[in-house]
Amino acid sequence: MTSAVTIPRHGGTGGRTAVAARARQVVKAYGAGETRVVALDHVDVDIARGQFTAIMGPSGSGKSTLMHCLAGLDTVTSGQIYLDETEITGLKDKRLTQLRRDRIGFIFQAYNLLPTLNALENITLPMDIAGRKPDKGWLAQVVETVGLSSRLKHRPNQLSGGQQQRVAVARALAARPEIIFGDEPTGNLDSRAGAEVLGFLRRSVDELGQTIVMVTHDPVAASYADRVLYLADGRIVDEMFKPTADAVLDRMKDFDARGRTS
Amino acid sequence: MTVMKTSRRNFFAHKGRMALSAIAVLLSVAFVCGTLVFTDTMNTTFDKLFAATASDVTVLPKTAKADGSTPQNGLPESLPASTVAQVAKAQGVKSVEGAVSSMNVTVVNSANKNMGSSTGAPTIAGNWTKNDLRSMEITSGHAPRGPTEVMVDADTADKHHLKMGDSLRTISQKGDFTARIVGIATFKVTNPGAAVVYFDTATAQRELLGATGRFTQLGVTAASGVTDTQLKQNVAQTLASSGTYKIQTAKENADENRKGVGQFMNVIKYAMLGFAGIAFLVGIFLIINTFSMLVTQRTREIGLMRAVGSSRGQVNRSVLVEATLLGIVGSILGVGAGVGIAVGLMKLMGAAGMDLSTRDLTVKWTTPVLGLLLGVIVTILAAYLPARRAGKVSPMAALRDAGTPADGKAGWVRGVIGLILTGIGIAALIGAATAKKATDGSLVLGMGVVFSLIGFVIIGPLLANGVVRVISVVLLRAFGPVGRLAERNALRNPRRTGATGAALMIGLALVACLSVVGSSMVASATSELDKSVGADFIVQGNQRIVPQAEKAMERSPDLVHVTRYKDLDATLTSPDGQKDTDGITAADPSYAQDLRRATTAGELSAAYGTNAMSVGSKYAKKHGVHVGDTINVAFKGGETAKLKVAAITDDDVAIDQGARYTSIATMQKYLPANKIPPNEIMFAKAKEGQEKQAYAALKKAMEPYPQYQVRDQTDYKQELKDQIGQLLNMVYGLLALAIIVAVLGVVNTLALSVVERTREIGLMRAIGMSRRQLRRMIRMESVVIALFGALLGLGLGMGWGATAQQLLALEGLKVLEIPWGTIIAVFVGSAFVGLFAALIPAFRAGRMNVLNAIATD
Repeated sequence: MTSAVTIPRHGGTGGRTAVAARARQVVKAYGAGETRVVALDHVDVDIARGQFTAIMGPSGSGKSTLMHCLAGLDTVTSGQIYLDETEITGLKDKRLTQLRRDRIGFIFQAYNLLPTLNALENITLPMDIAGRKPDKGWLAQVVETVGLSSRLKHRPNQLSGGQQQRVAVARALAARPEIIFGDEPTGNLDSRAGAEVLGFLRRSVDELGQTIVMVTHDPVAASYADRVLYLADGRIVDEMFKPTADAVLDRMKDFDARGRTS
Repeated sequence: MTVMKTSRRNFFAHKGRMALSAIAVLLSVAFVCGTLVFTDTMNTTFDKLFAATASDVTVLPKTAKADGSTPQNGLPESLPASTVAQVAKAQGVKSVEGAVSSMNVTVVNSANKNMGSSTGAPTIAGNWTKNDLRSMEITSGHAPRGPTEVMVDADTADKHHLKMGDSLRTISQKGDFTARIVGIATFKVTNPGAAVVYFDTATAQRELLGATGRFTQLGVTAASGVTDTQLKQNVAQTLASSGTYKIQTAKENADENRKGVGQFMNVIKYAMLGFAGIAFLVGIFLIINTFSMLVTQRTREIGLMRAVGSSRGQVNRSVLVEATLLGIVGSILGVGAGVGIAVGLMKLMGAAGMDLSTRDLTVKWTTPVLGLLLGVIVTILAAYLPARRAGKVSPMAALRDAGTPADGKAGWVRGVIGLILTGIGIAALIGAATAKKATDGSLVLGMGVVFSLIGFVIIGPLLANGVVRVISVVLLRAFGPVGRLAERNALRNPRRTGATGAALMIGLALVACLSVVGSSMVASATSELDKSVGADFIVQGNQRIVPQAEKAMERSPDLVHVTRYKDLDATLTSPDGQKDTDGITAADPSYAQDLRRATTAGELSAAYGTNAMSVGSKYAKKHGVHVGDTINVAFKGGETAKLKVAAITDDDVAIDQGARYTSIATMQKYLPANKIPPNEIMFAKAKEGQEKQAYAALKKAMEPYPQYQVRDQTDYKQELKDQIGQLLNMVYGLLALAIIVAVLGVVNTLALSVVERTREIGLMRAIGMSRRQLRRMIRMESVVIALFGALLGLGLGMGWGATAQQLLALEGLKVLEIPWGTIIAVFVGSAFVGLFAALIPAFRAGRMNVLNAIATD
């Protein structure tokens, strides 16, 4: 079994562990008996802090399930998941919700924003829900970074798809979560808008030290990451550091070919 | 065919979403059918009763009233016993029996408890004849024989635990007399509640008619082979010479009896159907909302249908077919529930003392047909607009990313139309409030109510914007971002919020209006009583005051005076030659102190002088009557008097408005003693400082006559208040149906909104909104919608109520009183209704699986 636990446990990030999240022997199965389907099959993975990790794999490989489990959106059948030093497997819904609210950021493929709130309100929503005051300076910096200063009073339906995703990125960043999860965040965008959003994610890692995990099937998107994990049949089958779009594409072709011959 | 198939599939696929609409249809149809079944059953009960009690041919005095009521002198019309022999000679007569029957009686037990029905059914006393065996049988004891024996009906005996040997006192115009129960007779058909007692013929004649040898009617039995019609002709021929008789076949007799009951039943029926109509109206909003949301949710699907070649008409029809299915399902269930409601009502009436038997349960074929037609037609009408909107969906919708459904915006055309209608409504209301005559004003008031209601419904969505914001500023802001989200959600589709609120508005507007009118009635009456009533005690009841009770009252100690008050049938001819039959009031002179009336001319006390009278100011103005003029008063059953007008009373009052007064002494000169009616009401004044003792003594003195209520001013006002309160409660009870449907509407809107916002809810949960916050958000949205409806409804209703009071001020409703307690309670109650309505939708939203919610496409 290939393991993705390759990052040293302790790094140089100011006393905090170098691992933002980890999964240990995580199994996610649906159904029972003959109809049992295993989506994650004893997965071990460490997500490095301050890095941009992409998870790739063909449809049904379990990449979204892995992300959902890591993000506390889904429960696991067995195994443990830790966010920093907190084990999140086994937490009650209430604690899990708080955890998502205070420590995790999300960017979905679509329907990221509440149509009734304007851009700024959407950005501050997680903090509003928590009853926390946003850090004004940081908020301004985030808004500046994603280039939305002039659009803050607009409702989502007055924004383009790319702008909407940028608002979602800003929302994820604004609360300074320990980790941001993206579920095909550029899946609905044209290549230019997609590049823009990915650029922001990259910059937030480089300049702000943000940890990001992104599920994608787009090699170009994956090439923005520091590290690419490949999933197939619920297992991590490979990984690549410092990927380029071509290298990713080649690797995937390789998997496809193997998949067909096996 | 395909259209049918998709509609049917859609209908069953979305049956959860249709459920509340179906319940709304069900409730309304059930109420209609319940009303029809109930009233039909009541009619059947009476039909059977009347059919069972009617002789083949009945002979009555010509002057006998159809409803069996006694004439003004308190004695039933009668015919001589000799008629029996005359009729017996007619061809085809098998037997003739003279019957005595009076409804001007009260029967009490040894503890002075009234044995009569508490539901308004009469007490009937009479002689026991063979004819009574048609409808009754003696189940214990024997028929009464002699002056000390009485037989009572089994229902009354059961209700009051009467046994053989118990004594019953019968109070009639001719005095009291006591008899022992020697028999109990049971009705073979359902007796809805009348208390019936029987004596032997001589006793009945003496005690009820005050005469021997007279009967109130004759029951004629036909010889075999003779039809009722033939028999009637034969009897008529025999009696032709006299011409003072009313001769009826069994059918005619039953029909006449039924007419009176039927009219009463129709009043009940149409009143209840009116409330059912309101519920239907409210249900329409619910159905419109449901179909609008379904169409919106299905926009892509419809676009696809259009893209692959469905015509607009087909899409339109497919929605209407779904509506038809909904209507049919709801109506069929409603018809069934209607029968249940009818049975429930019968049980309720039973508890109130009105016996109805499920054996008589009458479901006419028209009832389910009407219910079904109403339910289906109303549903289709309500779905028409959403169906048309569905037809307008362009094929492009299939290609577009549906995203969140487009928010329904309130257009300016709607605003203009709504404002115009509201304007007309308000203008009409102002017109009604300033009308000079109540009769003119009422039509204008009705118009004002209808137009302002329609106007409000139409501009509801526009008002929603402002009103919801205001409510939110006051209520929701305290809840931070969750409150803000709730506010935005309530505002995102003003049309939906407007329609949901409007449904609640209708019921609450009626509640507010009636409560304003009701409390104004109490306040006005109280203020007028305080101003004008000088009497300390008021005695009245549902039987006119019999002489023996009058005597008992006069003997009561510590009273300064006792006033008799009689209404007389009379024809008045004013100096200008105009006649009217509104009658005249004869009272003792002390009545001038008991009820203080302002006069515009003359002194009221002078009207009680010999051959004097007073008239009201309206009458005086109309006929140009002045003090000193003479009016011809033709007393019914007596002579015509020329009475001099001694006073003109100011008619700007509610009590005794337009009454003409004369003294009892004057009246007695023109009316023979046996034609003088018993007192309608009596008054008394206590000696200064003796009020308490006098009240207690008077109550004690009247104890043997439980049919009369003795009240001092405080009790009288309380009674008035209670009566109006009871009436209002009944109406509120009937309005509850409309309000329940409206609350279902709120539930419906929220439930469908939650389904519609699945993705959003998933997103909010994902980024950290707790279940509790989510539920609170939905509850607050619900509360805001409910309060929006309540605010509009209460505002509108108070406007209507105030207008009605202004109009009715002409009829003496002078004081406007807004029952703030009730209004505030309804408003606060609406907030709770909102909380309640949100229970299930909020619970379901909270339980939504975050992942499924995000993954929904």
